[in-house]
Amino acid sequence: MAEKIKLYDDSKCTACRGCQLACKQWNGLKALQTVHSGTYQNPPSLQSNTYMIIHFQDYVDPKGEVKWLFRKEACMHCTDAACVTVCPSGALYYNKDFKTVGMDREKCIGCKECVAACPFEVPRYDAKTEKVTKCDMCESRITNKLDPACVKACPTGALKWGDKEAIMSAVAKRKEYLGVAATTYGDKFVGGTHFMYLLKELPDVYDGIKKNPKVSFSITIWKKWLKPLSLLAAGGVIGGSFLHYVLHGPKRPDPEEVIQEDKKQGGA
Amino acid sequence: MKKGLIKVTSGYERFVHWLLAISCLLLCFTGMGMMYESLNILGKVMGGLHGLKVVHNITGVVFGVALLMAIQMWWKEAGLFVFPEDIDWILTAGGYLWHVDKVPETGKYNPGQKMFFITVALCGLLMLATGFFMWFPGAFPLGTELLRWLYPLHAFGFFVIFAFFFVHLYLGTIGNPGTVQAMITGWVTRNWLKKQHPGWLKEMEHEGTLVISDGKK
Repeated sequence: MAEKIKLYDDSKCTACRGCQLACKQWNGLKALQTVHSGTYQNPPSLQSNTYMIIHFQDYVDPKGEVKWLFRKEACMHCTDAACVTVCPSGALYYNKDFKTVGMDREKCIGCKECVAACPFEVPRYDAKTEKVTKCDMCESRITNKLDPACVKACPTGALKWGDKEAIMSAVAKRKEYLGVAATTYGDKFVGGTHFMYLLKELPDVYDGIKKNPKVSFSITIWKKWLKPLSLLAAGGVIGGSFLHYVLHGPKRPDPEEVIQEDKKQGGA
Repeated sequence: MKKGLIKVTSGYERFVHWLLAISCLLLCFTGMGMMYESLNILGKVMGGLHGLKVVHNITGVVFGVALLMAIQMWWKEAGLFVFPEDIDWILTAGGYLWHVDKVPETGKYNPGQKMFFITVALCGLLMLATGFFMWFPGAFPLGTELLRWLYPLHAFGFFVIFAFFFVHLYLGTIGNPGTVQAMITGWVTRNWLKKQHPGWLKEMEHEGTLVISDGKK
């Protein structure tokens, strides 16, 4: 099957939050009581029981015009996913067909390594179940040829799920219509994401958006270098010790001397 | 104890050594089960990888206690170099690597052992600090960017400690016959002491602190 992506076009989004509700419904996630933070954005950020939220933002553009910006935040489903690289248990993996990032919660051991590694700071730890949660692009739906729940619920066409090529060519056309500021977000980093934005304003304008997300170099050192090096070093020492034993020989005490009793001193 | 053997370690020293050694090895074992996918299977004996993680974390606490006891007990004897004697020894590599007619005399700990102790102490403290925040990343005060660097630091500590473990194992057993008794019974032969730590033997004889078995026990 072809590589697929989900697209969010904020110029078509009315922030009805049908997607947010559909996500909770399909994934069986209860809502928790939150606090009013002065905006419609609720809950204020992703939670272990909220895989996606719509951001609400008042924005004054350079011309002095006030705009209400919306943005859907959820797992970006990176092609080069830091979470998959660091996951010690294989709980996080790439979907073979679509290249999205799936999650087998049975395998999750709650080590929180993905929480620290994710360049988008998406995964959340649930202290109650001692496991991590995140959007899995409704893997149970997409593998059965259904749209992800959020896409299915979207009444305006702001969310789309489909073949990457088809969506990208539709995005190119839509960009011409939207004008110069319109930007695709997600295609230029981490090998390309499988959840992309088509933003009507420049990305920097959006609150909380990651400006230059990348897999931290610390992860490369950790997983690509130190992992094999640790075994190589230990192997080298074992081999070296063996060679030392057979070539140089152990350090044995000198041949027995007669130990004289009268040498004995001290408290024995 | 056989008559004529000399006591070189106390029961407390051996207890701390083995507490540190066993917790360290268990940490290596459980840590590798998580670090290498092909070793995930090690989790089987602990009821799965989650159990492995729990054992790793709790053993980390034991290791921390043992490490602090070891540092408190050994830092004066094994944590400080003596000049210029130690330099002379290092220049001959203790006679371990090439032929040396006369290896400079060493005291209770030779500079190689001191280097090993200092490495274990520093890497151990590094493992404690990084491990604590890997366990409780929410408690890390310096932000996500720096938090991400704790993971390779933890892996670096393993890289050093794991390699050093095999050096220690070799030199403590077949590389220096007779040595292992110091950490098992605590009694060694005079010949061994004369070869390995002549300075210390002389010092104990001079100060009258040498404990020699009369063979009655």
